[in-house]
Amino acid sequence: MNTLSRIQSRLLRTVRSRWRQLGIAIGPSLIYLLLLLLAPVTFIITVSFLQVNDSYQIVLEPTLENYNSLFSSEGPFWESTFFSVVMESLTIAVLTTVITLVLAFPLAYHLSKAEGAVFQLMLVMVLLPFFTVYLVRVYSWLLMFGQNGVINTTLMAFGLTSGPIELFNYGVPAIIVGLIHAFFPYMLLSVYASLDGFNFSLIDAARDLGAGRIETFRDIVVPITLPGVISGCLFVFVPSFGAFITPVFLGQGKVLMIGQLIESRISSLYAIDTASAIAMFIILAIVIAFGLAFRYIDVENLGGV
Amino acid sequence: MGTSPHSESDSDQVGAIGRVIGRLGDYQTKDWLLSRGLYLISASVLLFLWIPLIVMLLLSFGENAITIFPFEGFTLDYYVAMLNDERLLLSAWRSIQIATISATIATVLAVPASFALARFEFPLKETYRIFGILPLIVPGVVLGMALLIYFRTVLGVTPGLMTILLTHGVYGFPFVLLVVTARLYSFDEALEEAARDLGAGPVATFRDITLPIIAPAVAAGFLFAWLRSFEDFIRVFFVRGTINVLTTTMYSMIQYGASTKMNAISSIIVIAIALVLVVAVVLGSVNQFVGDTTEDE
Repeated sequence: MNTLSRIQSRLLRTVRSRWRQLGIAIGPSLIYLLLLLLAPVTFIITVSFLQVNDSYQIVLEPTLENYNSLFSSEGPFWESTFFSVVMESLTIAVLTTVITLVLAFPLAYHLSKAEGAVFQLMLVMVLLPFFTVYLVRVYSWLLMFGQNGVINTTLMAFGLTSGPIELFNYGVPAIIVGLIHAFFPYMLLSVYASLDGFNFSLIDAARDLGAGRIETFRDIVVPITLPGVISGCLFVFVPSFGAFITPVFLGQGKVLMIGQLIESRISSLYAIDTASAIAMFIILAIVIAFGLAFRYIDVENLGGV
Repeated sequence: MGTSPHSESDSDQVGAIGRVIGRLGDYQTKDWLLSRGLYLISASVLLFLWIPLIVMLLLSFGENAITIFPFEGFTLDYYVAMLNDERLLLSAWRSIQIATISATIATVLAVPASFALARFEFPLKETYRIFGILPLIVPGVVLGMALLIYFRTVLGVTPGLMTILLTHGVYGFPFVLLVVTARLYSFDEALEEAARDLGAGPVATFRDITLPIIAPAVAAGFLFAWLRSFEDFIRVFFVRGTINVLTTTMYSMIQYGASTKMNAISSIIVIAIALVLVVAVVLGSVNQFVGDTTEDE
C-alpha cells in the first residue's frame, strides 16, 4: 500500500460516521454564519436597549431611552418625525408590493404557457435587466424622472404638455416605479414557479362545469398560486421597506425613508444606539411579514428565486 | 333602453348601440377582451423593464447627454472620457477581484451546507435553512450597519478590504445554497448507489457521478453570488473603510453630477453582464447537450 492510498483510506475512515460527515458539511458555514450574521444582529438588538456615552463607550444599563427619543415630539408620538418616516416607508413598500403583484401575474401566466424559443426570449427579457447592477437601474430612472427628465422633456417636445408634469418629477411615484423595477423579477419568478407544471385544462373544466370567471379564479388559480404569491410579496416588501439608494436618488430630498435615517445616523454621527433602535423596526417588519407568511407556506417555498 | 344585454335590438335608434353592448356581455367577446388585455399588460411590463436602460444607452452616445429630445447628434466622447478616468477603472478592477474572492468563499461554504440540508436529518434543520437564506432577505442597510458596528465596536477591526470580503461572503451564501439544494433535491441518489454496487469507491463515485450532476448548479450559484457582490452598493458602503469599489465610485459620480461618464460606464456594464449571461446560458445548454448524448451511448 503506497502512502497516497493509505492517507486516502484513513481519511475515508474518519468521514465514514454519519455525524462526522454532517459536521464536516455544516460546520464551516455554521461557524461563519454564527460569527458574521447571528452575532452582529444579536449585538445591534442588544445595543438598541443600551446607550453610548460621549466617548463612544457602551453603558451596560438596559434602557428604553433610544426608543423614547425616536418617538418624542411636541405632541403625541404619532406626530414625531420618526413615526411619519415609518408610515411613509410602509406605504411605499405596500403600494410597491401590490402593484408588482398585479403586473407580474399576467406575465407569469404567459410565461408558464409559452414554449421553446418564445419562452427563452421572455425569460431573457425579464432576467437581463434584473442582473444589471441595481445602482445602474436606479440611475436610469434618475434620468427618466425629474422636472427636466427624459419623460417630461419628451412629452413637451411632442407638445403633449406645455410644462413639466409633477407626477414625473422626483418623489413618491418615482420611488415606487424604481422599486417595482428593482424587485419585479422576484415576484415574477415566485408566481411563475407556482404556475409551472399547472394543468391549465383544470380552468377549462371548471368553466365547462358552469363556474364563473371569478369563481374559477378564486377556487382554482388562487390556491395553486398562493405560495408563490406570498413568497413573492415577501421578497418585494422587505427590501422595499428598507430601501436606500432608490429613495436617495428618486426622492431627491423630498422623501425620507427608514433606510436613509439609519444611514445618516451611522455615517455622520456613528450613533450606534439610535441607529440600532431604528433598525429594530425593519427587523420587526421582517419578523411580522414572515410570521404571517408561514401560516400559509413552508420554508421550502421560499426557493422561488 | 338596452334592458337586457342579450336582446338584439328594441328599436332602430338604439339597435347599433344595443348590439355593441350585447357583444360586450357575450361570453366569447369577454374572453377575447380579457386575453387581449392580459397580453397588453405583459407586453407593457416587458417594455417597462427595458425602457430606462435603452434610454440610458441612447444618452451615452448622444451629444445632448441629459435628454433625447432635442437630438443633437452622436458622439463617443463620454466613452473616451470614461476610459481616461483611472480612478473609475481601478475601482472596477477592484470590484471584479472582490466579487471573485467573496463568491469563492460563499461557494466553498454553501456547497457542503447544501449537502447537509438535502441529505441529512438533524435537529433544528429548518431553522438552519432560514438562517442560511436570511442574508438574502435582510435589507442591505441593516446587514451593512450591523456588520460595520460588529467589526468596529465589537472586534475592533478597521473596515477595509477584509471586512468587505467577509460581508460579501455572507451575502453570497444564500444564492449558492438555494441553487445547489434545488439541484440536490432533484438528484436521483440511486445513481450513486448503483455506482457503489458496481464497485466504485466513494471518491470515484463522487468524482464520476455526483460532481458532474451538481457542477452546473455550483457554477450557477457562483455566478449569482459573483453578480450580487459586484453590484452591491449599500453593504460595501458601510464596511468599506477608505476602499472604493465600482458602485461607490459611481455613487459619488452621480452625487457630484458627472452624469456623462455615468451613462457610458453604466451602458458598458449592462452590455458586459448581458454577454456574461448569454455565455452562461449557452455553456449551460451545451453541458446539457453533452450530458444527453453520453446518456444515449
